[in-house]
Amino acid sequence: MIHSTNLSKTFQSYIKEPGFKGSLKAIFSRNYVYKDAVKNFNIESKRGEIIGLLGPNGAGKTTLMKMFTGIIVPSRGDLTVMGYKPWERSKEFRKKIALVMGQKSQLWWDIPAMDSFLLLQKYYEIPDDKFKKRVMEMSDILQVEPLLKVHVRKLSLGERMKMELMASLLHTPEIIFLDEPTIGLDLVAQENIREFISEYHRTHNATIFLTSHYMADIQALCKRLVLIFNGEKHYDGPIKEFENILGKDKVVSFYFSEAQNPNDPLWMRLEPKWNDFLDQVELKIPESDLRETTQKILDHKSIIDFHTENMPIERVMKTLMANPDILKA
Amino acid sequence: MRNYLLKWTQTIRVAWTNYTTYRINFFLQVIGPALVFFFIKYNLWSSIYSAKENLIIQNYNFSEMINYHIWALIVGLLAQGHTAMNLAEDIRMGRISSYLIYPFNFWEFHTANFVAFQILQIFISLITIGALYFSPLLEFHGAFAFIQGYIYTLYVSIFWFCLQYLTGMMAFWLEETWILRVIVMMITAFFSGAIIPLDLFPPDLVAVLNYTPFPYLTFYPIKIFMGEFTAIGTPYMILSFWILIFIVINSLLWRKGLKLYTAAGM
Repeated sequence: MIHSTNLSKTFQSYIKEPGFKGSLKAIFSRNYVYKDAVKNFNIESKRGEIIGLLGPNGAGKTTLMKMFTGIIVPSRGDLTVMGYKPWERSKEFRKKIALVMGQKSQLWWDIPAMDSFLLLQKYYEIPDDKFKKRVMEMSDILQVEPLLKVHVRKLSLGERMKMELMASLLHTPEIIFLDEPTIGLDLVAQENIREFISEYHRTHNATIFLTSHYMADIQALCKRLVLIFNGEKHYDGPIKEFENILGKDKVVSFYFSEAQNPNDPLWMRLEPKWNDFLDQVELKIPESDLRETTQKILDHKSIIDFHTENMPIERVMKTLMANPDILKA
Repeated sequence: MRNYLLKWTQTIRVAWTNYTTYRINFFLQVIGPALVFFFIKYNLWSSIYSAKENLIIQNYNFSEMINYHIWALIVGLLAQGHTAMNLAEDIRMGRISSYLIYPFNFWEFHTANFVAFQILQIFISLITIGALYFSPLLEFHGAFAFIQGYIYTLYVSIFWFCLQYLTGMMAFWLEETWILRVIVMMITAFFSGAIIPLDLFPPDLVAVLNYTPFPYLTFYPIKIFMGEFTAIGTPYMILSFWILIFIVINSLLWRKGLKLYTAAGM
């Protein structure tokens, strides 16, 4: 589906010193700086995969998406998407892809979503009966039927995002690029959209590229994960293995009814992280000893509550962002 | 082919919906130019002509001058759209990303918008003409001159569209294009005879201007409406020449600009 070797994109910009003086100076002599937004990126993806692109802000995720969809031209390297060169932007290619940007509306503000859909129906040459069926199906799943005739600018963020998704899936694309589709949405709406995406994937066996800052999105949808730092790929593999990058230790939090002695041998070896009142602790327990150690603490101390960490991926991300060199080791 | 035409007609329909969404805006757009005309131009010229009785400026008496400016109003309504404004905004806000992905191109979308706008303006101009028809201010010079003038003016609108497309595309390089557009508008308004008839200009200047596209944009269509110019082969040719040049420049600029475009704000 997507195949890239040494794909790179370099952006040119110039440095402007602050203030009017700086602006004047910039007119006559400019210090150009070159930034590699994406560096030697290699990827191979098969039909039907859902790939999560992860990385901090400015890592190059969106640049990558833009190259995949043909919005920008790569500076160096090779890229084919379904056999097409995206930047040639042939109409057949454009009919097979979709891009959804959580930060950017693609619908027309001043008209109801249905009018936009009708326009897109013509653009993608979707037959009437198929179009009606698609709109019915999707608005049913997303529960937005009464909103189809409301002006887009009057919709809430969550409602608008659902419409954006519908608009970009009307033509049943083979590859979908989702750039933070759930940004700024409440938990219910996030879940709703996740379900919708996974439903689409099930029925159409589409290839999906997803970026998100919500690990829940990635965890719920993706089996494969690609990690980018400063434009370079640092990890590419199953999400399960990613979770184990920092070792197979589990993180368990305990809430005690009274302050504890931090030097108790019970947890001395377990890298405890205490709160200020010494009545909450986070312990790192090897998976093999999990049952035994937890049992011991439960037996000896008065515990109000405890839980094992349910999202190790988040912890891995946080650790890696603070110290990307871990992966090189 | 049918499918391709449907893309255009649907875009035009959506453009109409967009133009008419804000009712007050739309109403102002309909009556605005006529109001400006009466408050500024009519008052200005009537005070100039009231200085002396039966004043004639370069063969124009008061009613001829007003007649000239009413036709200028009609020409303005028909020929000068502002679709390039959306174009520059689309580029600046990074919205062209959408058009790069839809199987309908950026120029196609904006040209369809232009067509939609022109069709609206045809109605608006006919309403304005209809309203003025019964007033003593407007003088008709026969159906032939009217139809000829109307068609020629619509051709001028294509020139304007291409020129505005060019200024709009400057958004690839400039942060703001409205200053550029205002400069172009002011210069053209002055040298095309929209503010003062070109007969009032020094003959040497007019001779030079005849080598530019300016006189063919406002002065010529007015004179055609007024039945004074009938040989219109040359103006058509000159406009066609410039339209072709703009199309070539525009497609070059588009290619250059797109390379520069990094989808800002996306």
